[in-house]
Amino acid sequence: MGFFDSLAQWLGVRKKEVNVMVLGLDNSGKTTVINHFKPPETKNHDIVPTVGFNVEKFKSKSLAFTAFDMSGQGRYRNLWEQYYKECDGIIFVIDSSDKLRMVVAKDELDLLLQHSELKNRRIPVLFFANKMDVRDAVTSVKCSHLMGLENLSDKPWHICASNALTGEGLHEGVDWLTDQLKEVLERKKK
Amino acid sequence: MLSLKRDKKEEEEGGGNPFYNLEKSAVLQEARTLNDTPIDPRKCGHILTKLLYIINQGENIGQNEATKAFFAMTKLFQSNDPILRRLVYLGIKEMSKIAQDVIIVTSCLMKDMKGKEEFRGPAIRALCSVTDSTMLQSIQRYMDEAIMDKGPAVASAALVSALHLGKGSHEVVKRWVDAANAVATSENPMVEFHALCLLYHVLKNDKIALFKLVSKSRKFRSPYSYCLQIRIAAKLIEREDAGSNSELFDFIESCLRHKSEMVIYEAAQAIVQLKNTTAKDLAPAVSVLQLFCSSPKPTLRFAAVRTLNKVAIKHPAAVTACNLDLENLITDVNRSIATLAITTLLKTGNESSVDRLMKQISSFMSEISDEFKIVVVQGIRSLCSKFPRKHNVLMTFLAQMLRDEGGFDYKKEIVECIISTIEENPEAKEAGLAHLCEFIEDCEHTVLATKILHLLGREGPRTPTPSKYIRFIYNRVILENAAVRAAAVSAIAKFGAHCEDLMESCIVLLERCQLDSDDEVRDRATFYVNVLKQNQKPLSSAYILNGLQVSVVGLERALHQYTLEPTETEFDMKSVPLATQPLAEQKVRDVPGESASVKPSQDKVAASRQDVYQEQLAQVPELANLGTLFKSSRPLEVTESETEYYIQCVKHTFSNYIVFQFDCTNTLNDQLLENVTVDMEPAEGFEVSKSIPCVNLPYNKPGSTYTLVRLPSEPTQVTGTFACTLKFLVKDCDPQTGEPDDEGYDDEYVLEDVEVTVADHVQRVMKPNFAASWEEVGPENELEDTYSLSTMNTLEEAIKNIIQYIGLQPCERSDKVPEGKSSHTLYLAGVFRGGHDALVRAKLALDSSGVTMQLTVRSTDPNVSEVLATAVA
Ligand SMILES: Nc1nc2c(ncn2[C@@H]2O[C@H](COP(=O)(O)OP(=O)(O)OP(=O)(O)O)[C@@H](O)[C@H]2O)c(=O)[nH]1
Ligand SMILES: [Mg+2]
Repeated sequence: MGFFDSLAQWLGVRKKEVNVMVLGLDNSGKTTVINHFKPPETKNHDIVPTVGFNVEKFKSKSLAFTAFDMSGQGRYRNLWEQYYKECDGIIFVIDSSDKLRMVVAKDELDLLLQHSELKNRRIPVLFFANKMDVRDAVTSVKCSHLMGLENLSDKPWHICASNALTGEGLHEGVDWLTDQLKEVLERKKK
Repeated sequence: MLSLKRDKKEEEEGGGNPFYNLEKSAVLQEARTLNDTPIDPRKCGHILTKLLYIINQGENIGQNEATKAFFAMTKLFQSNDPILRRLVYLGIKEMSKIAQDVIIVTSCLMKDMKGKEEFRGPAIRALCSVTDSTMLQSIQRYMDEAIMDKGPAVASAALVSALHLGKGSHEVVKRWVDAANAVATSENPMVEFHALCLLYHVLKNDKIALFKLVSKSRKFRSPYSYCLQIRIAAKLIEREDAGSNSELFDFIESCLRHKSEMVIYEAAQAIVQLKNTTAKDLAPAVSVLQLFCSSPKPTLRFAAVRTLNKVAIKHPAAVTACNLDLENLITDVNRSIATLAITTLLKTGNESSVDRLMKQISSFMSEISDEFKIVVVQGIRSLCSKFPRKHNVLMTFLAQMLRDEGGFDYKKEIVECIISTIEENPEAKEAGLAHLCEFIEDCEHTVLATKILHLLGREGPRTPTPSKYIRFIYNRVILENAAVRAAAVSAIAKFGAHCEDLMESCIVLLERCQLDSDDEVRDRATFYVNVLKQNQKPLSSAYILNGLQVSVVGLERALHQYTLEPTETEFDMKSVPLATQPLAEQKVRDVPGESASVKPSQDKVAASRQDVYQEQLAQVPELANLGTLFKSSRPLEVTESETEYYIQCVKHTFSNYIVFQFDCTNTLNDQLLENVTVDMEPAEGFEVSKSIPCVNLPYNKPGSTYTLVRLPSEPTQVTGTFACTLKFLVKDCDPQTGEPDDEGYDDEYVLEDVEVTVADHVQRVMKPNFAASWEEVGPENELEDTYSLSTMNTLEEAIKNIIQYIGLQPCERSDKVPEGKSSHTLYLAGVFRGGHDALVRAKLALDSSGVTMQLTVRSTDPNVSEVLATAVA
């Protein structure tokens, strides 16, 4: 059974697969971000608040991503942890125009980083300071400050300002994540 | 070919099932590996299959375990393997009832229901299994779309799921009415049928709409639709009490000529089950069933005899036409068909065919299962009552069956059959008792042995030669377990109490039992010996022959109460509520053949209806101090059904008060009622002392209001009529949200009158030995009078009316008039409010001018005698 898998690998046909989780408060734009990466024919034009989660697949330049797009609504947040164990990276989406709930986002982030399943793993975290197009959105620098990212030293992280509707900033972020994840994969091989 | 054969053989040996030895814990352990990445669809599929298998085997999986497995399974959504995905859907459906947070898969499923064609139907089904009421709003639109989808599989899945979502809730299913209406005329038979199911479910309380649904006589594509339509029509006919001349009946009848056998059968079955049918209406239905009897398909033959068997209960004459076909079925290779054929014949056969039938039955009794043997016994039971003269043949047959192998249920059925025959037919008594005596000599079922001993104690002493039973009974004392020994002791005591010449020897036997190793047996023996040695008739009657009549639960409660408050006074037996249903006679003489499903479970000492009321009333502070509840009436409707407000009244009698409990339901969804009371205009001498309102009565949530009425001080004045009006404050409200207006207005609603009758003041009590009780109460307060009941044309009718009016318990089966008799004596017993014994003897004679009755009343209280004696006048 394993034969085809290894054959494919040997021929180098398949891209390496990675699992990422897309987290953040409700309405921050997680589903919209992922939707942007999907091939045009499968794009969803009618995005509604996620209930539970959704699995989506997309490709970056050298990796195949399986993204668990989780629901950000309060009642589902405690279910995120069910999926931590198998994830290789995290995309954390912040609504940079929602200053009021930035503290809530920070609380959730802290909880997440302290979780026993993630605490001791050096997994890369990509932040999108999303909705940069909204008029009173804060800058990514301000955003990283509000989220207290300067104290996050045991995991590689990166923040990008983004507009999920147009795709601005998204590729830069995912390219960073791809590089990080490939590094991890390389290291694992050795 | 070869390997196929081998597989089959393996299967027979039980080795064919790879899951045969699955262990729950191992499977759950393995389910954790569903988490592993990358996903191996084959392996995961296998694990899921096992998981589904153990769930379907009925294994109980704890919530934690199930939730873990469930979340592991949700991760499989990342694989697009079609087989795995379908297993995931199944897994979700099975686990949605046991795991927590199953709502997590909602978005995944919603995506699939819009995605690949092959996933859409199953995804919808799974989605509905995880959706709770809070999520309905958000899936409504998608379900609507799915119902109207071009793909029949999708539409059907959505319709069926919508029904499941509504599980009983009309409000929920209603959301999809428009969509269902749109597809009810679908080209696809399956969609058409499922849409009709949904519509029917929504409309089932709306008579007019249902009527429209059925009478739109259109052509359906699916035979199932016709079947459904037939069922709805039949229900409507029942509800409307419409007879065979209605349009609906014509529709059903026309279905007898449909080309699908299923539809034909459904129509025939519907017709024979209707209540008000004449022989003429039945004829066409019976004749299609008759045709089915000779069908080559066993299912059709089975369906036909089974239905004919039912028809035979109510309309034996209608089925006689099929007797020849039924006789052919006696030799059917399918034993179930054969048995049903036989029992049908038992019901339709005439007296002269009994012997022949019994012979035929004995030829195959040993080949059929207990379940069908029971059916045969029930058939014999009805023969016994139909042809009392044949009791000899039948009893012998029953005795033979009693000797043969068989399980408890089967033996119980036979014993009950013999007992009921003995009770109905005095001529069969001696033979029956003899068979039962033989049976207990070697009976492994304690329950049956005690039951028979009890019967022997009751009937034996009144036979011409009581002494011959004592030996059988005493043998039990020597050979049996404690429960049976105790029953035997009680039986012996009854012989001693009833037959003077046997008393000495009975006392000797009982004295021996005082040395028994079991407490209960010793206690009983000691008690009976002491009572018997007093040699007083009233004592023997009250404590041996007729026994205690109180409710066990009530006695327990009263004793407990008594021990709580130390007092000088003695415990008063009269303060204990009576057993509401006399235990022995209550058994509904059910129609054989249908009895299995409707047997009241009276084996345990369950809290009776009245005990429940007592508890309920005690919860209302204003009613807490009325004393012991003496009697609660059956609920009577004081509104017509299907009106704005639906109200039932229950009368609770206490020693000085009556509480009228009005159970109200508000059927208007745009009204909230507050401060609901019933205003009662008291009859003379009665006095309304309080009414306790129902604070609010929202739509469709029943509530109760109580009116407390003081009984007249004059002890013989006990009856009256009360005019009732419902008074309340109405607040209009939004039918959707139930949100009421701030302001309301007063309104009232006239109810039907409520009557208090003599029956409300007496409680039925069964006296197994009426004559003994009659002597016990004595002639001190006896009243006697003769009446002529000119409006009554038969003894049965007179008896029915007397019982209904006086409300006492008929004893000694005296409510049954032996066939062809023109005079009869009815014995009634009970207790009057306040705890006074009340006995009535009514000698009835039928002549050309009607029924003449000599009524004699005895009671421990003179007022009670007077009330009862004047009750009938
Ligand atoms: N102006 C603007 N709107 C955005 C942007 N990204 C997302 N939105 C909008 O924000 C709303 C929420 O987007 P979603 O993608 O559903 O948010 P989510 O994080 O998936 O929300 P949950 O599933 O409830 O957790 C949608 O109306 C999007 O159109 C952005 O960059 N700019
Ligand atoms: Mg979302």
